[in-house]
Amino acid sequence: MPQVCFYFQLHQPYRLKQLNVFDLEKNSDYFTKDNRQIFLKVAEKSYRPMLTLLLGLTQAQPKFSFALSCSGVFLEQAEKFSPDIIELLKKLAQTKQVEFLAETYYHSLASLYSDQEFFDQVKLHGQKIKKLFNLNPRIFRNSELIYSNQIAELVAKLGYKGILTEAVDRYLGGRDKTKVYLSYTGKPIPVMLKHAQLSDDIAFRFSNRQWEEYPLTVEKYLRWVEIYSEKQVVNLFMDFETFGEHQWADTGIFDFFTAFVHQFLAKPYNYFVTPSEAISGLKKSELEVYDVPVPISWADIDRDLTAWVDNSLQQDSIKKIYDLESEVKAVFDEPLLDLWRRLQTSDHFYYMCTKWANDGDVHAYFSPYESPFEAYRHYSIALADFQAKLSNFKNKQVTKK
Amino acid sequence: MIGWEYPPHNSGGLGVACQGLTEALAEQNQQLYFTLPYSLPQNVGHMRVLDCSHPDWNLPKNKPPFFAYDALSGSNLLTDAEVSEHKLDLNQLHLLPQSDLEKQVMQYHDQVVQKSRSADFSAIHAHDWMSFPAGMALKDKTKKPLIVHVHSTEFDRSPHGGSQYIMNTEYEGMKMADVIIAVSAYTKHLLVEKYGINPNKIQVVHNGISPLTDSDPGRHHFASSRPMVVFMGRLTGQKGPEHFLKIAQMVLKQMPEVLFVIAGHGDLYQELLFSSADKGLSGKVLFSGFVRDQQRDKLLDRADVFVMPSLSEPFGLVAVEAAQRSTPVIISKSSGVSEVLPHSLQADFWDTDLMARQIVELLANEKHAQSIVAKQHQDLKPVTWKSAAQKVKDIYSRTLGLS
Repeated sequence: MPQVCFYFQLHQPYRLKQLNVFDLEKNSDYFTKDNRQIFLKVAEKSYRPMLTLLLGLTQAQPKFSFALSCSGVFLEQAEKFSPDIIELLKKLAQTKQVEFLAETYYHSLASLYSDQEFFDQVKLHGQKIKKLFNLNPRIFRNSELIYSNQIAELVAKLGYKGILTEAVDRYLGGRDKTKVYLSYTGKPIPVMLKHAQLSDDIAFRFSNRQWEEYPLTVEKYLRWVEIYSEKQVVNLFMDFETFGEHQWADTGIFDFFTAFVHQFLAKPYNYFVTPSEAISGLKKSELEVYDVPVPISWADIDRDLTAWVDNSLQQDSIKKIYDLESEVKAVFDEPLLDLWRRLQTSDHFYYMCTKWANDGDVHAYFSPYESPFEAYRHYSIALADFQAKLSNFKNKQVTKK
Repeated sequence: MIGWEYPPHNSGGLGVACQGLTEALAEQNQQLYFTLPYSLPQNVGHMRVLDCSHPDWNLPKNKPPFFAYDALSGSNLLTDAEVSEHKLDLNQLHLLPQSDLEKQVMQYHDQVVQKSRSADFSAIHAHDWMSFPAGMALKDKTKKPLIVHVHSTEFDRSPHGGSQYIMNTEYEGMKMADVIIAVSAYTKHLLVEKYGINPNKIQVVHNGISPLTDSDPGRHHFASSRPMVVFMGRLTGQKGPEHFLKIAQMVLKQMPEVLFVIAGHGDLYQELLFSSADKGLSGKVLFSGFVRDQQRDKLLDRADVFVMPSLSEPFGLVAVEAAQRSTPVIISKSSGVSEVLPHSLQADFWDTDLMARQIVELLANEKHAQSIVAKQHQDLKPVTWKSAAQKVKDIYSRTLGLS
């Protein structure tokens, strides 16, 4: 009879165009027109049907609640390419059964590289959520659930009431992932941990015919969930695109979800909670500390940062983009700042990942490039062009003075 | 003439050189048969091309069975000490391993012997090792003089030790030849030093170059706001791209605005990307991938400096093309092209310090760069296929005892 907390992530990066050196300083758009096509495709297969389904469920089941987190670049693209998705999100926001979470506007790794840039992007994201949905997020989730004591410190400083991340056993040390923990920070905040097993049963394994539990029935899944007690929170955190995109409609994923919600609520003492609800009423003095000295994430087998910052291609690209911070911010040009920030989106570095064992196929699935080397090559060209744009601005300002 | 590749299908300098040379020879009324291991997609007016492809090759008939030097790349960087100490062991040259490549070369040999029965010729001129077995067989059969033309050697391609079979073929061909034509004094020296060939048998004939009609030098093409330094070549150890990265790193310390472009593909591509990122050169050293045709021309037109830090370069056509397009070039001393471009800047391939200084000076001093460009144009005036063909004709005459 546990509490179940669903959180779904909505994010689409601005993928880079395959720039070549002959495009340098030609005022080229950095981003591929495919972004629109991809967005429309995912909207068709996932966003529209699943948001509609969720809206229906909130109406049919007043006790159904969950959390959503939408990156700023997702919301922008939705506004441009498929405004009906925004309308669906607005309707969900009005139900009071959906909690919107805070994150970095550009789905960036800023929390690891620049406190100031992190604050700026979280603030931008908050403004966007306020403007679109008239909500002020209270709970924070970082890009890819990246988390460490240090990041929690920043998040606590910003006044958030809680934070989501991954349950990583090397820091959990065999304790329950279904309890709420406290961050190891000056001002502690509650930390909720993803239940990887049960989340990935839906997100990754649902349609896998090689999986020994295939096919996953609602009855079976309920049994797994219901072994937890009413004080425990089963945190099912996953990409929104799980529904209809990673797992296509013909796998039965939509029907599975609908049936799960109804059957779960059919039993007394089963509750859906939002993160805010899950932490409300908890006494901090009764919570144990989740001490994470080295950053973790929800990615790959290792649950660490190696999906984005493992090899030198990734490390140098990230370093180069963040090295420009003070120069970019000194020119006070909104479009330039926006462009710089779009180049910070974590996906660019994910595509450059070269650790192919186990996780490689997942990386390849998401990458628009034929190889991580091509991803790096094109990013480097975009970086060179951006540096020229920046110098151009600086020169203009010098001339004006 | 026994060839291996011919434009439009060529892996590099060999096909281009065969075209330039045969066209100029034909203009000087030299009649030529030219054998290829495939049929040319379009007719060539200046000579008779004999398709000597083997019926066993289930390959497209309009391409060579393998490109001359694509697959044969060495990837190890050598220090200058290693290069100068490394000598081919002549006792090793007689080892004959087997592979598809060798089989195809021998099948080509059979076809050439068969197809040339109907041809009426007075001398045999074979281009690089792939055609040497056929040349030797023809000489054996017809007792006509054999001239072997060395455009590049296995030693250039794999300074650390390449295929024994190929080195052996090169050696046997040169041994049996009446005359050896080397594309540069650098190559002649290498043939004497590394292959133990008698220098009196070797004649140097530098490649020519076709005049340009469409040169458009200048920064206006792209990336106009910054100086650009270009490397163009296969990404293999022979061409020294790792040295180019070191040079870039040094130049950037003094002139952070400079862009470096590496054009080409090859075995070292991924390694170079990592190395570039390791050195913190992302966004400064850019990889264009393989460029051809107009893009290739545009890049050479655009370059403010062209660098060829090859470990061993028998000729180095691309440096001449860069000079033609009014780009100052910095060339490895271990190259043939340094002989025809005496006013270009030159350095030992390992002397990255010097090349970095040369780049900085060219970029910082416009007049200096302009003067190098002007002198390079002077250097190039006598570098024509006409003059190369004249020398080859003289060699034919002397070999045939007509002079």
